Amino acid sequence: MEKWRIIPFNRFNAFENMAIDEAIFKESQKGNMPPTLRFYSWERNTVSIGYFQNAKREVNLDYCNENAIDVVRRPTGGKAVLHENDLTYSLVASEKNENFSFDIMETYRVISECLIGGLRRIGIEAEMMAEGRPRPRTKETIDAYCFSVPSQYELLVNGRKICGSAQVRAKGTFLQHGSILIDIDPVNTCSAIMIDDCDTENGPERLMKSVTSIRENIGDGVTIEGLCKGISENFKKRLNVQLVAGEITPEEDSLKKLLLQNKYATDLWNLEGKWKNGN
Amino acid sequence: MSVFPDDLLYSREHMWVRVDGNITTVGITDYGQEKLGEILSIKLPKADSSVEQDEPFAVIESSKTVDELISPVSGDIISVNEDLSDDVGIINSDPYDTGWMIAVAIKDLSMLDNLLDSYEYGDYVDEEEEAV
Repeated sequence: MEKWRIIPFNRFNAFENMAIDEAIFKESQKGNMPPTLRFYSWERNTVSIGYFQNAKREVNLDYCNENAIDVVRRPTGGKAVLHENDLTYSLVASEKNENFSFDIMETYRVISECLIGGLRRIGIEAEMMAEGRPRPRTKETIDAYCFSVPSQYELLVNGRKICGSAQVRAKGTFLQHGSILIDIDPVNTCSAIMIDDCDTENGPERLMKSVTSIRENIGDGVTIEGLCKGISENFKKRLNVQLVAGEITPEEDSLKKLLLQNKYATDLWNLEGKWKNGN
Repeated sequence: MSVFPDDLLYSREHMWVRVDGNITTVGITDYGQEKLGEILSIKLPKADSSVEQDEPFAVIESSKTVDELISPVSGDIISVNEDLSDDVGIINSDPYDTGWMIAVAIKDLSMLDNLLDSYEYGDYVDEEEEAV
């Protein structure tokens, strides 16, 4: 049975969270690390934006600043997420791993199957989006929010998105991020992220037609640790792997510190998408 | 069904190279763009910089993922396809012509020996497809 590393749930600030994930991703590209599943949350409320998003256009930076919301740019693609009360996971593995595939969408499907089973263990019946819905792509429309539109194989409960995900791939390795909503504050979300028509009086109400949360479905009966356990157990069962608890290696820790200093703790990266020693 | 013109060289990271003396033009293969899906954005290097063979030179975003593009050659970038900033979709629709990415002046032609011809690349893609 293949051994994976699982880094147990912990809370870090936004910049450390992204530096840790990229360090794991980069070290895995050298080819001698097992697949790594990591669960985490965020010390302060955070808006994470996708690699290519325009922070100044797609995030209300003044609102975030006034309300102590950190803004960090992810190494993965996709749209913005407000991490207020969610469980975030990251999964790093080789494209050549027998459970995954060179086919990008197949990787999303396999991971979503694992998550569905994990959510079922806590009493939530989620389903995979069969076909992605196209985003409106006019220059006038700003739809910067990850949960506005489900992509193929993302998870829905009664037609509303409960988990968003995004990937980056390099040198035969992928990193997938996902955010499972435990609860959502639609007013705060509409204020922090530029979402089309969301700044109107009934904007938050309309937002809730596309998004849902664990609390809305089953109340407060589940702890974050219980959720992590449910999902972990289902990864083990679905993929027939052994999850071995571990921490990041000294090499990953050194790289994390470097990435934190030169990239993730800088406005240059988070607001402009550039970094020292990068482009 | 992906197309691989036989006047180009190819890397295992799904990039193509057109050689004209010591000037090479680089882009993504038809198979590479199909694998990524709809291309949404690309970040290319500046025209006065250099690239290293087998090292990342650009980042591309599709509807499915963000992907680092790996340079098939080493050398000085002499030109960057500015048209991609207006319409990145031409990478999907015309990957071997108007969807080119960078032109690179190379010093050592022997680095091209590391690349595949169209038949070898076709076989490599078949193997990758069988592994899916």
